[in-house]
Amino acid sequence: MKVTWKLPDGSEITGTAEAGQSLMEAALAHDVPGVIGECGGTLSCATCHVHVAPSWVEACGGPGDFEDAMLDMADTRSEASRLSCQIEATDALDGLVLIVPEV
Amino acid sequence: MTIWTPQDDGFADLSSHDTFATGAPHNTFARLRRDDPLHWTEYAGGENYWSVTRYEDITAMNKNTEVFSSARGIRMEDQSYEEYLARRTFQETDPPEHSKVRMKLLKAFSKTTMAQYEEDIRSLCAEILDQALAKGTFDATKEIARQLPMRMLGRVVGLPEEDLPWLVEKGDALIANTDPDFTTHVLDKMDTDEFRMMPFNSPAGAELYVYAKELMEAKAKKGDTSGVLNLILEPAKDGSTITETEFRNFFCLLVAAGNDTTRYSIAAGIQALCHQPELLAQMQAGGEVWETAADEIIRWATPALYFRRTATRDVEMHGKTIRAGDKVLYWFISANRDESYFDDPFRVNLMRSPNRHVSFGQFGPHVCLGMWLARLEVTVLFQELAKRISHIEAAGPHKFLRSNFVGGIKELPVRVEAA
Repeated sequence: MKVTWKLPDGSEITGTAEAGQSLMEAALAHDVPGVIGECGGTLSCATCHVHVAPSWVEACGGPGDFEDAMLDMADTRSEASRLSCQIEATDALDGLVLIVPEV
Repeated sequence: MTIWTPQDDGFADLSSHDTFATGAPHNTFARLRRDDPLHWTEYAGGENYWSVTRYEDITAMNKNTEVFSSARGIRMEDQSYEEYLARRTFQETDPPEHSKVRMKLLKAFSKTTMAQYEEDIRSLCAEILDQALAKGTFDATKEIARQLPMRMLGRVVGLPEEDLPWLVEKGDALIANTDPDFTTHVLDKMDTDEFRMMPFNSPAGAELYVYAKELMEAKAKKGDTSGVLNLILEPAKDGSTITETEFRNFFCLLVAAGNDTTRYSIAAGIQALCHQPELLAQMQAGGEVWETAADEIIRWATPALYFRRTATRDVEMHGKTIRAGDKVLYWFISANRDESYFDDPFRVNLMRSPNRHVSFGQFGPHVCLGMWLARLEVTVLFQELAKRISHIEAAGPHKFLRSNFVGGIKELPVRVEAA
């Protein structure tokens, strides 16, 4: 699937995510600044926080209970906030746009 | 020019604290990474253990907490179940239990929260450096590296300034419990059984317990509920709270782990400046180097040499079988020098980017809570140091801590010329 990360400085990175990969892992593979993923996707650090672009919120779904609690710890939480380690790349998300918050 | 040359013959005993008293045995780690990446050690001090030394293996295993658990202890030394219960913090638990506690603290240690301390750190650095540099020749660990994290601990945790030297001395006695310079109760050289229910088998643990209790009682009397110590006492989302023992152990963890790791990162950075002269010029040129310098210094230092996990079931790896119940050590110090992952790992490259080192135990749920504070302290300290000096060199041989758990330069004589 194709995915685009919009960065705080207005620039964009577009790349592919392999099916089954998390969007955090994909961001690391493309060196997307601001998506750090320090805990390796174990729901412990909230450093892979992204805002899902409005048109993709429904397709991505909302956060799970634990993710929801972790997101409360993020500095700039919004209705569209997700931890990208919890979004799995699938064909249904082809073209996904994620907005990387300023940290 | 090399910063320091490993002393080991490639077959060092990783169980021996003496091995590390001349620096980490990098020749041994290099051999293990190449020839024996899952290495079985016959351990005279207790149950035998596996050593994992490759970057790729450690980062993959570190997130697999179902198979490799923290809930049997995180050091090489064995613990009975009752010792484990008496001494554990959330460091010695697995998700989801671990995450419930950690979550209470995340915001207090977030990058944004820490950024608010920058000016505090800068003025502390100015004070510390002006005092030390005026001496011309001095021990940089004692006069610089030890000072900054100690004084920041007071501000972040909310402890009275006058108590800090005593607290840090006790913290050192805990975590450097294998070095006679830091404790009279040397773990592997005497019978410390009397203290086996205390953190790190150390009588200093008992003293810190009393201190923590009195501190919290004094705070309660004043109605003061601020600071991270009160945060961890708050009930989790599901209403659960930590026990009093866990709280006191958490206090010991903050005082011990929150201190010496940043100290030894700063010391390793200063030592690198002495032997790789282009580093000071790069720092003085400023700009982008500060986005990457701290992580490279912290990679270079790797103060937490290893953490241990325990296998929860049989696993096949590199043609061997890790059995359920086996101890498995992740040697972060080795992963951070893995030539198959890092370019030129034995050289400090302040511009290294990306720099996905594992000094903070990254790629697992136990990734260092204080990492943003550590990065900020290291960045600001070197910014302020580089401003003030035109030259720095070794003024004598340096000495490493006697410990296979914490790696650090405990004595670092340097000579400086003011800018």
